[in-house]
Parts: sequence; C-alpha cells; structure tokens
Amino acid sequence: MDPSQPPGENYASPKTCFFHVLFKAGALAFYILSALFVNSFVIIFVVTVLLAALDFWVVKNVSGRILVGLRWWNEINDLGESVWKFESLDQESLARMNKKDSWLFWWTLYITAVAWIVLGIFSLIRFQADYCLIVGVCLTLSIANIVGFTKCRKDAKKQFQQFASQTIASRVSSTIQSAFSVV
Amino acid sequence: MSHNSDTIPLHASSQSDIDEIENLINTSIQSSSSTVLPARPPSPPRIPVSASPFIQSNLPPLQPKPQSTIQKPPSIVPSAPLPPLPPSSGNSAGGSISGTGFGSPPNTLTEPVWDTVKRDLSRIVSNLKLVVFPNPYREDPGKALRDWDLWGPFFFIVFLGLALSWSASVKKLREWKESEVFAVAFALLAAGAVILTLNVLLLGGHIIFFQSLSLLGYCLFPLVIGALVCMLKDNVIIKVIVVSVALAWSSWAAYPFMSSAVNPRRKALALYPVFLMYVSVGFLIIAID
Repeated sequence: MDPSQPPGENYASPKTCFFHVLFKAGALAFYILSALFVNSFVIIFVVTVLLAALDFWVVKNVSGRILVGLRWWNEINDLGESVWKFESLDQESLARMNKKDSWLFWWTLYITAVAWIVLGIFSLIRFQADYCLIVGVCLTLSIANIVGFTKCRKDAKKQFQQFASQTIASRVSSTIQSAFSVV
Repeated sequence: MSHNSDTIPLHASSQSDIDEIENLINTSIQSSSSTVLPARPPSPPRIPVSASPFIQSNLPPLQPKPQSTIQKPPSIVPSAPLPPLPPSSGNSAGGSISGTGFGSPPNTLTEPVWDTVKRDLSRIVSNLKLVVFPNPYREDPGKALRDWDLWGPFFFIVFLGLALSWSASVKKLREWKESEVFAVAFALLAAGAVILTLNVLLLGGHIIFFQSLSLLGYCLFPLVIGALVCMLKDNVIIKVIVVSVALAWSSWAAYPFMSSAVNPRRKALALYPVFLMYVSVGFLIIAID
C-alpha cells in the first residue's frame, strides 16, 4: 500500500492477486485443454483437482486475508458442537482496502464457479461420468469458498454495526455520567 | 482516560466497565482487528508474527483485570475468534483453545503465509497421530478430532486411487481400465464417507458431519500403507495377510469414535457399514494391486 500511488488506481498487492487468479485459471485451463494432449484421465483428474485444492487453500488462507481482510473457519468447542468462526479486520482497515483488489477477489470467485457449472453441463450432456466427478469436486471447493466468505462479510458488517451502536451508547452514557458527577 | 480521574467513581464495577469500554474504543482504533476484547494482560503470542502491511494489534497492557468481569462485553463480539492452535500442540489440542489469551487472534489475519502452511501441515500430522495410533483421548469423541481438517483424507484418497490405478495400468488387467479404477476408488471412498456419516446421523447419533468425514478419511491411512506394500509384493497370500492386518487396524481406529456417537443398542448398525466399506476397499486392493 504505497501512499505515493493514487489510491484505487493500482492493485495494492499484485503478487497475491496473481496467485489468487493463477490456480483458478490453471485448473480451468488444464481441464479444458487437457483433452487435446493428455490421454490419461487419471492425470487430468489428479492435476485438476490438485490445482483446485491449492486454489481453495490460497483463497481461504492467503488472498482472503490480504485482499479483503476476511477469514473463516470451523471449530468444535468444548461441548462438542461445531462453531463457524469469522474474523475480519476492523472497519478502518477494511475501508482502506484497495477497491480493485476486492473487486478482483469477488468477481473471480463468482466467475470460476459459473465456469465450472458450464463445464459440468457439457460433461453431463456428453454422459461422461468421470469428468462430472472432476467438475463436482472443483465446484464444491469453489462454492465452499464463496459461501464462507459471503457469510464472513455479512458477519463483519453486523459486528461493525453493533460495535458502532455500542460505541455511541457508551459515549453517551459516559458523557452523562461525567456531567452528573461534575455537578 | 484522563478525564475519568476527575469523576467520582459511582460504583467500582460500573466505573471499571466504562473504563473497559473506552479502552476498547481506543485500542480498536489502534489495532487491526474488530474483535479485540479489552483489558486482558496479553499472553505471549504463540504464533510468530512478522512485519506486514497491517497494523499489529498491540493490546496495551491495561490495568490487569480478572478474566471473569470482562468475559463478554455484551454486544461487541458475537463470534469472537478463538485463537488457532499453536503449531506444536498435539494431544493438548483440546485444552489449549480455551486457555490461550487474546494476544493471538488478530495474528491469524496478519501472520505470514509460511506460518499458515506450517500450521495446516502440523494439524494434519497431529490428527493422523490422534486417530490412527493409540492415545488416551481416543474414547472421547469430543476430543478425538477436535481440530478436524479434510486435507489429510483428501490426500489419502487421491493417493490410494493413484496407487490402485497405477497397478491396474502396469499389470495390464484387461477388466479394469485405469481411469475407471481411479474414479471408482475415489467415488467409493468419498461417497462412502458421506453416506456412513449420514447413516450415523439418521440412527440418532450425535456427531458432527465434517468431523466424521475427517475421521473416516484418516482411518484410511492403514489401508494406504497396505496398498503400498501390496504394490511391491506379488504373492497373493502375503497380500491377503497384509490387507487383513490393515483392515483390522482401520476398523480399530474407527471403532471408538463411531460407537460412542450412537445409542449402545445401535452400535452394530453404525459400525457394520464402516467395516463393510473398508472390506470392499481391501478387496479392491487385493484384486488390483
């Protein structure tokens, strides 16, 4: 985040954006082009699913944090129940996030999921159950990330609203307290 | 906070609450996390944090308060992020979640990438050790796989499928095409794990979906080893012995978790399908490897 650059005109962390897009595009490209030069289904499956899994991990752990400041995960608490945890930067840092970064983040997430759905429809039409399996796995990973980050963003907004109202309420109450005690 | 010293404290606890809320406001402006809880003596951060574009959350060491008074400022944090487990913890995974202080939660947002990788890798290893090797916590489903993850099972399933399909292609078995073998193995294991979990849930058991998926995947580890050994040896008798040993080990690993999740009268109903799935994988290994 270089202050000398006019804000919003460049990507703030180009390396992260690059990796964010790299594995997604790699998985899609490999899947589409592999039929041309790779004969073995197993290799297609393993490489595509591996790239998709890497992409899932990168988005969840790295680019989610750096591009939009959100993180989600699941924990099992002491009672044995599963709890989804969401973590986000506070509102000031979020507002400072580069708009281009977050635009890229969200749109590539959605576009990837749509692309996998389209590819899935193709393989269904061709009755290739093997390829439907690949598409199914990659689609599951994309949708998991989309759902996780959307929930995280909503949670962050809710937290901020609560925090803001709490702040206002506490400031009002402390002002009143100090007014009364001075009197 | 200087203006508070002018005021007459109305009541000890209410003044301290006001202090804490104001500290919260001040620290959250400085810090990088919206989920900062106020006034905890900061515990030593367990995850090394490097310089990054984000501001470090330096929780200033404010007046030390006992934990109980500030445990939940009523509205701020509906879902406080518990700190992630320290990388080196193995069996103490369960205890350390509640015990660690709030010095670490902002760090999961700002920690360097390599730390995340290490944390995930060590979690896979510790889960594996918890599930497959004997340890005192096995009987308790709450603690057995507290920190479930699906990476381990994913790698095991892919590896098993690769091993099977490689053998199928090398041995030129005419009935099995290698792509079929791989797809069948992968789909069988993945769908099998999901269906087995649903089976336990439908029997009225109390497990968590992902935890059980994770457990069934980790219990494949002995079969993966068995498949590797079978790839190297060609004698059918040795293969049968190795696969039976691996099968017994897998079932033993899965038994405590699944059986404690259901009503004791329905234990067999829950366990038999698990055993059946592992037996079918064993047959696949013998037939193909």
